[in-house]
Amino acid sequence: MLKKMFLALLAIVFVFTTIGIGFAEAKGNARKGKYTYRNVYKSCNKRGEIDSPRPLLSPDAKTQAQWKRTFDKKDFDQFKCKEEWSKLSDKDLNDIFTYLKDHAADSPSPAKCK
Amino acid sequence: MMRLKLTHARYILSVLWIFSLFFMPIPSFATQESEAPGLELARQTVKAQKKPTTADHSQFKALNQDFTSGPEISKACISCHTKAADQLKKTLHWTWLDANSPKDNQKGKAGYSLNNFCISANGMHDHHCNECHIGWNAQGKKTEIDCLRCHGQKKINWEEVFEDYKYFTESKDPEENALAKDAQAEIRLAAQSIGRPTRKNCGSCHFSGGGGDGVKHGDLDPSLINPNRELDVHMGFDGQEFNCVRCHTTVAHKVAGRIYGTPASKTRKSLLEHDLESKIMCESCHSNKPHKSSSKMNDHTDKVACQSCHVPEIAKVLPVQVWWDWSQSGKKKDGKPYDVKGPFGKPVYQSTRGETKWKKNVIPKYLWFNGSIQGATAKDIIDPSKLVKLAWPDGNRNDKNARIFPFNVHLGKQPYDTVNKTMATPLLSGEHGYWTTFDWQDAIERGAKYLDLPFSGKIDFVETAYVFPSTHMVAPKEEVLACNQCHTRPESRLANLTGFYMPGRDRVKPIDIAGWAIVLCSFGGIVLHALGRIFTNGRNKEK
Repeated sequence: MLKKMFLALLAIVFVFTTIGIGFAEAKGNARKGKYTYRNVYKSCNKRGEIDSPRPLLSPDAKTQAQWKRTFDKKDFDQFKCKEEWSKLSDKDLNDIFTYLKDHAADSPSPAKCK
Repeated sequence: MMRLKLTHARYILSVLWIFSLFFMPIPSFATQESEAPGLELARQTVKAQKKPTTADHSQFKALNQDFTSGPEISKACISCHTKAADQLKKTLHWTWLDANSPKDNQKGKAGYSLNNFCISANGMHDHHCNECHIGWNAQGKKTEIDCLRCHGQKKINWEEVFEDYKYFTESKDPEENALAKDAQAEIRLAAQSIGRPTRKNCGSCHFSGGGGDGVKHGDLDPSLINPNRELDVHMGFDGQEFNCVRCHTTVAHKVAGRIYGTPASKTRKSLLEHDLESKIMCESCHSNKPHKSSSKMNDHTDKVACQSCHVPEIAKVLPVQVWWDWSQSGKKKDGKPYDVKGPFGKPVYQSTRGETKWKKNVIPKYLWFNGSIQGATAKDIIDPSKLVKLAWPDGNRNDKNARIFPFNVHLGKQPYDTVNKTMATPLLSGEHGYWTTFDWQDAIERGAKYLDLPFSGKIDFVETAYVFPSTHMVAPKEEVLACNQCHTRPESRLANLTGFYMPGRDRVKPIDIAGWAIVLCSFGGIVLHALGRIFTNGRNKEK
């Protein structure tokens, strides 16, 4: 009986841990992230803070680890356009992070913002 | 006393006359010939550089619709430019075939031509090669012409943006659905950003052909997208700021330039002789007497191409590949393909491609050239004991159309069929290509099938050569070749060209002996004359 209870407990812990990890590292939608990222700079440019609607940093400006550190710390000062960045939801940020990380300098397909 | 004064006056007058001979003509020459006439002519031809555009493409109804694929954009272009597609489909940019070569051994990438780089396009079945064809999405001639490849002023990743648009329009998530508008806006903006071809447009293929930047030409690489005058006097932003089409003049989408065996121009006429002549030759704008009439350089233009002196060096900013050895490919580390980078940050070894060598500031090789380039095709029988010339200039010193011309000579090693004595045409890209399978036998067999060529199954590697005429990267006049870089020995730039006498470089013993004899005789005469004067005490004694 004790053995059965122990096994059931183990199974519950395993399921919850797996779900937890899954949620913690849920991969965003890179495709959506690309357009959300671009829209940040389009509206920032419209507002007049920056001269060009092109994003300041291309995905290949950093390695995957560097992008992870930037988004873990939520260190968005280097991106400028604070007003637009502050309006982004966690989901939007995760999408943008996924886009930037998927096309980072050390990724299989590094990309520039054209 | 009177006689002495007269002598002095005569002496002063003589001196003044001699001085006038030296100095008086200078101002008169300066006014008549302050510049080389060829330079003035060239300036005349390029006076009105900026042609105003008469159309704003964003206003056209045909370009203000939703596009779901590239060919749809082309159809919109053709709905107004009704003759453009028919014109283009007759040109080499579309056919990839030399219309002037025999049908059973037709030259061109879509034919039996070979090169020193990715070897063969396998009759346009190699997807990777087709990336430089002007059809949409590397589909070759199976699709519509991608007008934007040459006329698009905004570079975007078309394949990706159409995929995004499709994904967002089909998505059930309203947030994603809304983004379809953004993707379509991007497509439209690019489709409406139309202009005459820029260096960037032409360079997307011609600067990066052969699988990367500066692999092929040496005088054409991405450094010419935004060059200064030092790099090219014609294209430099601080010079004339020419785009490619300024010289590669275009009639009905047919761009002037060399087409395999067909010279870029057979006439070498200037625009003064024929105002509708293309500007493809230096003489077109500069005439065949481009220097000051007093300059000896004008006597060279019948035998020495302008480029020989005015393109003294190539690969001035970025390195050019000079060697590609396919026989070394296929090695692996821990069972995996690998790359090794060399001094310029360029790969010197790739499992997929083999060994490569790169060079900067390359001095061209000088060869006789009548405007045609010839070379072995995949159908020609080769002699594997010799260097196989896949592209080599036609002409020799007895050919009246041939002149000494600078070339970038690329060398390499490629597989050949040891039984049929023909060059092999391996399929490289794709699922069954050599870059995936690392199996020469299979890749060559597949490539040969596409071209309907026999393959014995037995291969070896042979050394091959491929030339590119060096005609861009024209140096400013301060940096052109000096006389003594050719007219010298033993390191004349033309040391490899034999069979004719060139002053300064060559010696003819009897002429040398006769010359020295004259010098010695003159010196002897002077000495004897001086001794005679000394021993007879000159005229003083007579007086």
